Amino acid sequence: MAKSAMKRDQQKFTLLLLLPALLTIIIFTSLPALTTLSYSFFHWTGFQRGSFAGIENFRRLFAFPFRDSLFMAMRHNTLVFIGILIIQTSLGILIAYALYRLKRGQRFFRTVIFLPVIFSLVIVGYMWQAMLDPFYGPINYLLHKVGWDSLALTWLGSTATALPTLVFINLWRWVGFPAIIFLAGLNAINSEYLEAAKIDGASESQIFRKIMFPLLAPSMTIVTVLTFIGAFEWFDLPYVLGGSSGSPAGATDTLALMFYRLSFGSVDSGANEIGIGAALGVLIFTVVGIGAGFGSKYLRSREVQM
Amino acid sequence: MIKTKSRLRGLMAAVFATAAIVVPITASPANAATEITFWSWRPEDKVFYEAEAAKFLAATGISVKFTPYVATDYNALLSTALTAGKGPDVMQMRAYGGMANLSDAGYFMPLTSKDIPALAKIPAGTLAGAQGYTSKLQYGLPYATSVLGVMYNPDLLKKAGVKALPTTWSSFFAAMDKVKAAGILPLGNGSGYAPGMEQLWGAVGPTFYGGNDFYKNIVAGKKTFEDKNFVASLQAVKDLVAYFPTGHAGLDYNTARGLFANEKAAFYIGGNYEISYFRSLNPALNVGWMPAPAAAAGTPRYVTNWADGGFAINAKTANKAAAIKFMNFLSSKAFMQDAADSLGWISTISGVKVTDPAVISMVRAIPSSGTPFLTLVGFRYGAPTSSSIMQPGFQKVAAGTQTAAELAAAIQAGVATWYAPLKPKA
Repeated sequence: MAKSAMKRDQQKFTLLLLLPALLTIIIFTSLPALTTLSYSFFHWTGFQRGSFAGIENFRRLFAFPFRDSLFMAMRHNTLVFIGILIIQTSLGILIAYALYRLKRGQRFFRTVIFLPVIFSLVIVGYMWQAMLDPFYGPINYLLHKVGWDSLALTWLGSTATALPTLVFINLWRWVGFPAIIFLAGLNAINSEYLEAAKIDGASESQIFRKIMFPLLAPSMTIVTVLTFIGAFEWFDLPYVLGGSSGSPAGATDTLALMFYRLSFGSVDSGANEIGIGAALGVLIFTVVGIGAGFGSKYLRSREVQM
Repeated sequence: MIKTKSRLRGLMAAVFATAAIVVPITASPANAATEITFWSWRPEDKVFYEAEAAKFLAATGISVKFTPYVATDYNALLSTALTAGKGPDVMQMRAYGGMANLSDAGYFMPLTSKDIPALAKIPAGTLAGAQGYTSKLQYGLPYATSVLGVMYNPDLLKKAGVKALPTTWSSFFAAMDKVKAAGILPLGNGSGYAPGMEQLWGAVGPTFYGGNDFYKNIVAGKKTFEDKNFVASLQAVKDLVAYFPTGHAGLDYNTARGLFANEKAAFYIGGNYEISYFRSLNPALNVGWMPAPAAAAGTPRYVTNWADGGFAINAKTANKAAAIKFMNFLSSKAFMQDAADSLGWISTISGVKVTDPAVISMVRAIPSSGTPFLTLVGFRYGAPTSSSIMQPGFQKVAAGTQTAAELAAAIQAGVATWYAPLKPKA
């Protein structure tokens, strides 16, 4: 009896601790999401809500002229996800492994690697814009100096290089984040496994591939799911470097930028479409929700098998 | 203990007694200082507006809190504030379709010449820049006219041996060839800043599509964006790309303007609003201005101009009288003269003197050669706007991945989805 009363007290206390976070989520996430959902079912003239539209806004989103932008943006988000997942995650694992094996100065290098994550994104964006400036930027200057003229490209101005360049800048800023998660994962591995493998004559490469990597699966799940959410909600960096239209020529356009344009209009090109913007918001929410949910479930099931 | 209590009581009594004397003085509505809030998308004009606010305070006793936001965030911030029933008392409003959605939704107070007498003296064409799209009521006070054209550096042209200003498209190209041969950049413009490409087209396009006649015809649905003259106007931009700096695709707005301001490029095609930026970088810069050259000898030259921005009052302001007073201050000749002198405005109020020689040339050319900025004035009231298709489209045209005809077809197809006169006839 006393035990169950204690349990109830504990539950009440837990709920009390959760309450501020729960209220924050309800006010700043759930309510706006529901409002967006309701907006998507109405006709809009500018900021004036009109009659009930049913699924008309969703139909228009998938019809000309919005369809082309939608599919292009979706393609970009997918490429960004694949690019970040492959390059950033691989690099994150390698950095984490290097830090793990570092005998001295681990704390210093960990701070250095993580430092860009805490920089203001706007500053990071403008810094890279200046570095990559085709006229005054030090990167192209150096490339010309060493005779690699063909590599001195208009990195952010060409439709071929703009998106990969943004992925690279994102990598520079964020690689410390997966590295720290993987480092925590490596630190959590029971050292007895590694010592046993060493005694059995396993090479460093075999230890990494056969023991460490599989045991990093929970960290991999976290990084993959967070990368998926981040890639499909990617807004800040493309906005800072390519504006709301995803310049040049829409080469850096993403679903979130398109949502922003449709909802608020564009400074230099006007007019908004709140209903279609809300429909796109619902689509992004659904894609991210389902993708993250299923992805998480699938990856966790593989963790168990391992 | 008792002593402490009695001290506390004494202190409380003193506080209440002071409050009894002070509160009626400070809280009396008759004596309360009125403060109005004023939002803008021009952080760079903060010093100017604060100096003007000080003059307004001295004259009326009403203080103005000027809050500027980054231009790219302004529409989103203002619309969010207004739709939430908040927002400033007075604000800058974007022209034509830029904020007609807010006007039509009733977030701006309709203005009349009874409240703002200066409105009666502004030409009807200019007033249209601050009206609603569906209601056609006057929601803003248009404060400045913007003009597009070709700015040139007389010293660099002289150095390159260009003796006469080009008046036709072919003589313009010949002049740029001469400049290039002299080792000087002919044009400072780049394709990295998409709105700049539309503005460049806005300056050179009208002579190809036929200025005002074409504008009237396309607005009426008698012509389309696929008209061969309109396609020729888009092609004209493509032809100019050959004179852009190497690596123009990565050239951002300020770097492009910097090439002209720092006397590296002989020509820059843009608006009068560039001049204050040029001078901020290089106060000694010698700037000349001319209308875009004619497509061919004997064809008219046009000067694209439009009412660029207005001042509006929040429909839900609690300080209506003070806001109207401030609007009258903003429409006064004294304020407009200060703005012309400090910010290079071409004021919508008559009698304001322009001192910059380049701006004087623009003002003189408007009455005889003026034409509206077709895509900005006519087709920014629905999504997708012609500008939203044209701007990235020009970047593709400049990169060679789209032709002028394909871009024209894309604009026509996009605008026809919401602009009834351009919809295909059944």
